Amino acid sequence: MKLNSRYWLQRSCRYLPLVLTMVIIGLFTAGVPSSALAQSPTVEQLDTHVETDGVTGELDEFLLPAPRPQRSDYPTIGVSSRGIVWVIAQMHLFFGALVLAVPIFVLVIEIIGFKSGDDRYDDMAHEFMKVSLTAYAITALFGGTLSLSLFLLYPDLMTYLMRAFGSQVLVYAGLFFLESMLLYIYYYGWNALRYGNRKWVHLTLGLLLNAVGTTLLFVANSWTTFMMAPSGVDPETGAIIGNIWEVMKGPLWNPLNLHRFIANVAFGGAVVGAYAAFKFLSAKNPEEKAHYDWMGYSSNFISILAFLPLPFAGYWLMAEIYAYSQQMGILAMGGILAWLFVVQAVLICTILLAGNFYLWTGMARSEGSERYRWAIKYIATVLILGFLVWVTPHNIIYTASEITRLGGGNHPVLGPLGIMPAKNIAVFLMLICTFLSFQLYRRADKVITVSWQEWGNALMACIYIVAIVNIIFAGIYYGYFTNTVYKVGSSVIQVMSTVVVIVAGVVIDTLMFKGAKNLHVSWGKVSNRSQYALFALPITFTWLMALMGYVRSSVRTHWHVYTVMQDNSPDNFIPTLQTVGNMVTLVTLLFLAFLLFIFWIANLSGTRQLPPLAADRSPTLAEHAT
Amino acid sequence: MGAKVGSKNSRRVLIWVIAFSISLAAFYLMDQVVMGMQGLPLGWDLSPAQ
Repeated sequence: MKLNSRYWLQRSCRYLPLVLTMVIIGLFTAGVPSSALAQSPTVEQLDTHVETDGVTGELDEFLLPAPRPQRSDYPTIGVSSRGIVWVIAQMHLFFGALVLAVPIFVLVIEIIGFKSGDDRYDDMAHEFMKVSLTAYAITALFGGTLSLSLFLLYPDLMTYLMRAFGSQVLVYAGLFFLESMLLYIYYYGWNALRYGNRKWVHLTLGLLLNAVGTTLLFVANSWTTFMMAPSGVDPETGAIIGNIWEVMKGPLWNPLNLHRFIANVAFGGAVVGAYAAFKFLSAKNPEEKAHYDWMGYSSNFISILAFLPLPFAGYWLMAEIYAYSQQMGILAMGGILAWLFVVQAVLICTILLAGNFYLWTGMARSEGSERYRWAIKYIATVLILGFLVWVTPHNIIYTASEITRLGGGNHPVLGPLGIMPAKNIAVFLMLICTFLSFQLYRRADKVITVSWQEWGNALMACIYIVAIVNIIFAGIYYGYFTNTVYKVGSSVIQVMSTVVVIVAGVVIDTLMFKGAKNLHVSWGKVSNRSQYALFALPITFTWLMALMGYVRSSVRTHWHVYTVMQDNSPDNFIPTLQTVGNMVTLVTLLFLAFLLFIFWIANLSGTRQLPPLAADRSPTLAEHAT
Repeated sequence: MGAKVGSKNSRRVLIWVIAFSISLAAFYLMDQVVMGMQGLPLGWDLSPAQ
């Protein structure tokens, strides 16, 4: 190829959109705080602008205390306002998570397809976007309904939040316009921008779409975290005394940003996995079965990969909640909401078991998996034992006679298993075992040929063994035999041990797979049971999201905005656990009903009815999928 | 033949011992560094230094 000016022009055309995107993102993120800063004057400026004739000036609004609505100030419409907002908000969050997450891994898959030249990846990415597009409209509908219901049912709260966030909400609205435009161009322009330099433009659009989507997530998160841990306000009166950046950047903002970002990807992967499972089970020929089997595997891979670091992000969020308010932290994990974390344990263990089961059954696709089948029963044993430890509560509701027989309030064996050190050991061992299942799956269809494979395998095995011993040692020794500070600090050792196993596993395997002989993988030759595991994942994820969303909201107890604006509505009480369970189940079932609708629409869009003349000639071809 | 098998086994044992020593050293160092960074120093036997 001649390195002439045409060559350099073409190369620049490829990277120019990417560079422009980075510049736009940079200007935008620098611009949002500075433009927002312009909207609220400083306290010094306010002092110089106070009206002297007693008439309240426009700028005095910023010194207004938080509203103190009384019971009669809350509009009533005959049903529980909290119930309505609960359902609508949760539905909006479910769909919001889905539509923000799918473009993230779609972009990654598209890049993989572009780099490898394998059209399967590009087609799969396009099909994932089809599912996301229908969900986008539903997200907006629930978002609009949520806004209307909040303004109708909690007008004073919304007045205060609008005062706090000001024109930032218009920025949010503007971002939605941008998101919509980019989403539609990204999806509908897929085939028009398929190859060569145009593909670079398409990838850039995908990058912009994700940048805008992530910004939307972070902006909305600031409202949530402001209500939990308000910043930029006078603690006595609730008056807004900080600028928009100070209001947004509370102590819980970044932990929630990280947690929701990762969780969205895990959730989105699980949902599209269910779509792939649905298409697999209804496939009409072996090629379709193979395609959707592969799609299901890819979705499960994305979901489990994102799920592995999620406990760390959740732990950081909980640690920041404790640091902000011990009362809030203890209420969540040591008080009335503590039982919900036992339910959370059940759900996460279900997710891990379903994910692992899918990997184990998937190993049957390759004849090379026989070498590793022996390990499955041991991995399953660790998962079950971890499940049992994690689900063990510290305090069980005993009768007086049971307490007398026990000799105290805690069971001598189950009591120690009910506190955090035991749970940490359980969850980190379960995560390591899940990664082991994944690593064995990846090795099942390969014969490693590198000369140093003995060293690589020995090192990998020793890393696993030492990491497991380290996690157990740190949990038991620092958890039960040292003081609280060392106990809490030792959890970081456990986190790092797990991270070392995962990173080392990925690096060592990547190096060892160079020049490996690939064995045949029979895509489509997998039991139907494995697809039910793919159905179980989004159902469990959805229930878990609703449950933890409730916990996050409930820790505010009787405050709309914690310690600043009290909740005096008729619903200002923590509901019973039975009510919580019912509501969470209701929103989960509702979401699944909508999901079935989305899958049906995605299927319908690929169906084409033949014209009547052709149908008369061949009735069996009256309908076929394109 | 027996000698060959014997030396192969010895080599394998040596590989595992070296791999295990590297892993042990790495995790020991990690424990010291991670706890030290949090202001929670450990003794040589990993017991709390304060």
